[in-house]
Amino acid sequence: MSKKLAACLVAAALPLSASAAPESYVIDPYHTIPYWETDHLGFTTMRGRFDKPTGKFTIDTAAKTGTLEIVIETKTLSTGDSERDARSRTRDEHLRTPDFFNVTEFPTMTYKATSVKFVGDNPDALEGDLTLLGVTKPVSLKLLRWRCGPDPRTQGKRYQCGGNATGTFKRSDFGMKFGIGPIGDEVTLWMSFYGFRQ
Amino acid sequence: MQEFLTNPVVQGGIAPFVVAVIVVAILAKAKLAGLAVTVGFAIAVALVSGLGFTPLTATRKVVLLGLLAPLVGIVVDFALKKSRTLTAVIALCCGALTVWVFWSVLEQKAIGDALLLGGVAAVFVAWFVAATLQLAGQPVRAGGAALMLGLGAGISAILGASALLGLYGIAVGAGAGAFLLVQMLTGRKLVAGATLTLSASLAAGLVAAAALVLAQLPWYALIVLGLIPLAASLPVSDRLPIWAQAVIVSAYGFAVAVIAFVLTWWAPPPI
Repeated sequence: MSKKLAACLVAAALPLSASAAPESYVIDPYHTIPYWETDHLGFTTMRGRFDKPTGKFTIDTAAKTGTLEIVIETKTLSTGDSERDARSRTRDEHLRTPDFFNVTEFPTMTYKATSVKFVGDNPDALEGDLTLLGVTKPVSLKLLRWRCGPDPRTQGKRYQCGGNATGTFKRSDFGMKFGIGPIGDEVTLWMSFYGFRQ
Repeated sequence: MQEFLTNPVVQGGIAPFVVAVIVVAILAKAKLAGLAVTVGFAIAVALVSGLGFTPLTATRKVVLLGLLAPLVGIVVDFALKKSRTLTAVIALCCGALTVWVFWSVLEQKAIGDALLLGGVAAVFVAWFVAATLQLAGQPVRAGGAALMLGLGAGISAILGASALLGLYGIAVGAGAGAFLLVQMLTGRKLVAGATLTLSASLAAGLVAAAALVLAQLPWYALIVLGLIPLAASLPVSDRLPIWAQAVIVSAYGFAVAVIAFVLTWWAPPPI
């Protein structure tokens, strides 16, 4: 009798399992913006951002698993200082040289999440690897916000997930050692992101 | 102390210069005073970015070759007979190594752009080395040329947006400045040889080429920097005291370097 009951339960659960299969999302490059910040001369915090990253993520809320891969073009770096005025070069031009992001030699940086931690039904943190300047090191990202639902801009025709994530790393771990001391070693990464379900 | 050592003036100028003066004092009798250039360069690299070679980026290849150059220089000075053929072979090898240094960048470009950029960098470094090696037997000219090669490449690199490359170049100049200063103060000529001229020209040449490939040094400023060894060959009376010869040779080089600075300052932003 108990075997029959178990078989019935499994059969009843099958459609639910199928509907909870991993869902794939493509990153929205226009609303996904990675920001970074670091200490500047011990006085203030310098912030910058990268534009139009690309990538994808999957999420399986039933199995509580997920993946993320995001590719950032380093030449899109901006700190809001792009006009030379009376100077030979701008801060953004300096940040693109081998002193910092070395964008000619390393045009992209990537983040690949290898595991997702859930709290309840929602993803809470990502464990993954950041590849910057040819060096790959583990970096964790904490999800500060996360929400999925129909995109109101499309009258609900498109389904999307979005949120905010943050994490820290030491730039010296990636070989970016110029100016450590006056300019902070610890970098905080902030990212607001959207993904559209495929 | 930590704050002192993170000051760029100390990292690229004062520390390399002070250590280089000590090296000149210790190694002058062994005819190895030219090692001051490489020691100055190494001090700056250690203070600015650390002596690491993994992953072997283009900038780290510049450092690696800059540190290995005096080994070849010593072999040339003590074991080989100097000739134009030898100078040409060394220069060609340096040009080929320049392509290796920037290969990771060149392979990402279209074939035409890669050939142009790699060709300009390789020809420049080969020329820089060949022209400077010609001064190996004239220690005052060699010291003055090396001083301005380093300062010229370094300051141009800073104006071309890279302070890191700039400090590396200035450190080469600081090491050569120590070599020159000891001659000026003692009134006696030291032995320069390929130990000094190859080390200074290869390190400074690669720094300038790196500023072209990885930062924003315009190609025409590179050509002007290539004239520094020629400027150091302009006439100077041997009857003048050594300190005066050193000042005049350095002034020749400086006049050329200033043109490169101005051209770099006014170079338009990349499209």
